[in-house]
Amino acid sequence: MSLTAQKATNSRAPGASSHGTITKERFVLMAGPTQPRPANQHLRRNPPIAGEQEAIDRAREGDGRAFETLYAMHKRRVYSLCLRMLGNVAEAEDLTQEAFLQLYRKIGTFRGDSAFSTWLHRLAVNVVLMHLRRKGLPQVSLEETLEPSQDDGPRKDIGARDLTLSGSIDRVTLERAIENLPPGYRLVFVLHDVEGYEHNEIAEMLDCSIGNSKSQLHKARMKLRDLLRTGQRKEQIA
Amino acid sequence: MIVMRAMDKTMTCAEFQDALPELFESQSDFSGHEHLKTCENCAALVRDLQYIASQARLLLPIHDPSPAVWDHIQQAIRQDKPEPPATAARK
Repeated sequence: MSLTAQKATNSRAPGASSHGTITKERFVLMAGPTQPRPANQHLRRNPPIAGEQEAIDRAREGDGRAFETLYAMHKRRVYSLCLRMLGNVAEAEDLTQEAFLQLYRKIGTFRGDSAFSTWLHRLAVNVVLMHLRRKGLPQVSLEETLEPSQDDGPRKDIGARDLTLSGSIDRVTLERAIENLPPGYRLVFVLHDVEGYEHNEIAEMLDCSIGNSKSQLHKARMKLRDLLRTGQRKEQIA
Repeated sequence: MIVMRAMDKTMTCAEFQDALPELFESQSDFSGHEHLKTCENCAALVRDLQYIASQARLLLPIHDPSPAVWDHIQQAIRQDKPEPPATAARK
């Protein structure tokens, strides 16, 4: 991949302004009650980083070195999120670039109400969803049912006990299955199960309720199980 | 309320699976759940979902973006910045 400076300028144009973030109504979520904050069952992956606050303070004042420090601290996670959502290195790098440009322009508005990484991820998530819509998913919503014939909620698994997944999935297989999730499921699954964000943080990032985040995560896991079991059956037949 | 209902021995598989999202958030260990003691199918489902979640936690980190990304960010930032008046005057 090779990006030119011109491309960098052009690529950010659609979302470059301070009003370029995705509006709340775009995230049409499943109606559901707001749940109380859940117990944290997962390892936190966004602990405070040594030197981060100082770099934020300096970057807000226009210190380029401090901004570079923030980039070095967070580039991997932002890029990972983009890559998992896009499945394409060139696009993921473009969106990583766009996310950090947005950070550069908006860091002055960071007030510290949430963790910096959560705030940055929210910027990145908006960049990713805007890109997906531009690619032809005009209403990328977090409410994607598993199958058109089904109403809300994951398909029940009653009676089929032919396969169990335990011990049988390698990293590549799981990454591939995640790529095949619908974008809305994939986003919540990546943020929660891979990145380690809690539901209340995801709800904040996506402007949805905690209950919706939980529901989407469960649907994502159920869909992944289907995908992985289907893959196992194909392997057995082959 | 959902969790309390989930402890009911008489619940069906469908009811149990409806309660699963909340159960996952409220209990890390499902092995002692009443329904699972008598339902191998739901027990296998829970094991699979827990396994998927545990494997997902092992996925980070993946690779860094290429160095070119930072180069392009710097270029774009430079283009963003208005030229300082003093510099402009010298030109």
